[in-house]
Amino acid sequence: MSALRDLGAVFTGSPVRCRVALGVLLAVLIALPLVLDRYLLSVMILILYFAYVGQAWNIMMGLCGQLSLGHALYVGLGAYTAAALYQHFGVIPWVGAVAAVGVCVAAASAIGWLAFRFGISGTYFALLTIAFAEFTRIGFDHFGWVGGSGGFFLKVVQSDRMDWVNLRGHPVMFYYLALGLAVLGFVVSAWILRGRAGFYFRAIRDNEDAARAAGVDTFRYKMFAVQVSAALTALAGVFFAFYYNNLFPEQIFNIGRSIEIILAPIIGGIGTLFGPILGAAVLTLLSEGLNEALAAAGREIPGVKQILYGVALGLAIMFMPHGIWPALARRLGFDRRDADAPTARLVPPGGDGPAGAPPAGAAPAGGRVAAPRKAGDG
Amino acid sequence: MAEPPLLDVVDASRSFRGLKAVSNASLQVFRGEVVALIGPNGAGKTTLFNLIAGALAPDAGRIVFDGRDVAGLRPDQICAAGIGRTFQIVKPFADMTVLENVMVGGFRGTGERAVAAARAGRALAALGMDGLRDRLASSLTLPDRKRLEVARALATEPRLLLLDEVMAGLRPSETDRMVEAFRRLAGDTGVTILLIEHVMRAVMALAQRVYVLHHGVIIASGTPQQVTRDPKVLESYLGAEAPQ
Repeated sequence: MSALRDLGAVFTGSPVRCRVALGVLLAVLIALPLVLDRYLLSVMILILYFAYVGQAWNIMMGLCGQLSLGHALYVGLGAYTAAALYQHFGVIPWVGAVAAVGVCVAAASAIGWLAFRFGISGTYFALLTIAFAEFTRIGFDHFGWVGGSGGFFLKVVQSDRMDWVNLRGHPVMFYYLALGLAVLGFVVSAWILRGRAGFYFRAIRDNEDAARAAGVDTFRYKMFAVQVSAALTALAGVFFAFYYNNLFPEQIFNIGRSIEIILAPIIGGIGTLFGPILGAAVLTLLSEGLNEALAAAGREIPGVKQILYGVALGLAIMFMPHGIWPALARRLGFDRRDADAPTARLVPPGGDGPAGAPPAGAAPAGGRVAAPRKAGDG
Repeated sequence: MAEPPLLDVVDASRSFRGLKAVSNASLQVFRGEVVALIGPNGAGKTTLFNLIAGALAPDAGRIVFDGRDVAGLRPDQICAAGIGRTFQIVKPFADMTVLENVMVGGFRGTGERAVAAARAGRALAALGMDGLRDRLASSLTLPDRKRLEVARALATEPRLLLLDEVMAGLRPSETDRMVEAFRRLAGDTGVTILLIEHVMRAVMALAQRVYVLHHGVIIASGTPQQVTRDPKVLESYLGAEAPQ
């Protein structure tokens, strides 16, 4: 019961203009297929897909501080599980998704247990996630039951019908499916963020020793973060399989895919609710726009997308290390925090005494700076 | 005393690569007491704290809290048992607000956000930090960070509060304010306090009993007046062959 109440409070607890904006955005997204052509629809599907996997990854890294550079593992495992069950046994994807979640949670639990039981953290944990994604890729290259390196293909049904049970048919169906996933990712993230798990995750992220001393079973909660993240990513994999209809280990488990997943939340705003969504929109629109522009100019430059991603990442790290969303949210008045918090952050950490000696121009902003001595009198 | 001690450390030892940081240390803290643990730098005070709080496991000895041996439990289990601690080197959750920091402690044993918020509110009020609740922890001054450490530990509603040099680096006026806050706290909630402190001004004002640790060994105990006159204690602080 309390869980449900908290879920409601996720929305009632945020500023009104924030809720209104969310409602408008959702309404626009629901109406969008009415006006979009097939190409723009596919771009929107891409945005929603990356928004969703970004959210899933963000729960683990943005909230709990556990860096995964191998999230393609869960996309791949989820995709192959549901696809194989469908193709070989005729299991509908909705049931296959449950199996996919199970497989991915099991894999995440194994990795998490290995890492957290033996105190592997930080960079080494990230390397471990890469290692698992890589050897799973190699394993699937030789896994004949699902086609090995030659790929695994789902029966394509060319029709404008929407077969929701088997997820076969028109792109509009996949658009709504992706939208549903993105909403799911948002709601799950918001719900976690608000409850005890969210507090514990962020405590672990900021200082694990202090979290332990404050009563956080850090092993249990890190496992939980990894499991939730993997479960959500598994659903992205199921979507991927039924949308694209073909799976190649070389592609789906590729480390490039893992990196692609994490770019949106990093650029949009790591650890924030809306950052992954915004980041996915910005990145996808930029890269598609660039493609279009190049196509219009009659040119094709291989690898231009990767260069664009690199530049975007570099710019974000240089000019907006917290991502686009925190800066934008403040400007739009969606920020729940005390207005003087960001300026107060200018005070050097650990500085003794009230606000030490703030830089001349910053004096009035903090509000807690002692009244300036009357200048001119001396 | 007929009542068993709330905390009973019996012959606890811990070495680091052959160096005996704490050696057969025993101390008792009774319900409602404020007890100080003092000693020169490197005496092993923080190590002893870490043994009690579960950050380190003792090599030998028992740590009995409320009749139960808690030696070797994890820090979160110790916290659940009812011991809250602060860190000498403050460890705020930098990207969370003051209220959120303290609410992390407030979630002990409950998933209810409202309960955690209420506990956090009481802890912040006890330390006079109401006005800071929406500030990011990373924006706090050192004295406020020290108070935040205490508030977070307090929000776990401990029966025993371990305070590791929460007055260090504070100005005398700030120290007095902190002492006053602890006095009120002990009076209002009846929480038992064991504190490590260098600031004798605070020790004299707060503690009913004092243990002195030197080279990992408890060399004296008694009232603050007793231990400050003890020749062994003076020797440990001033050196062995002090000129006459």
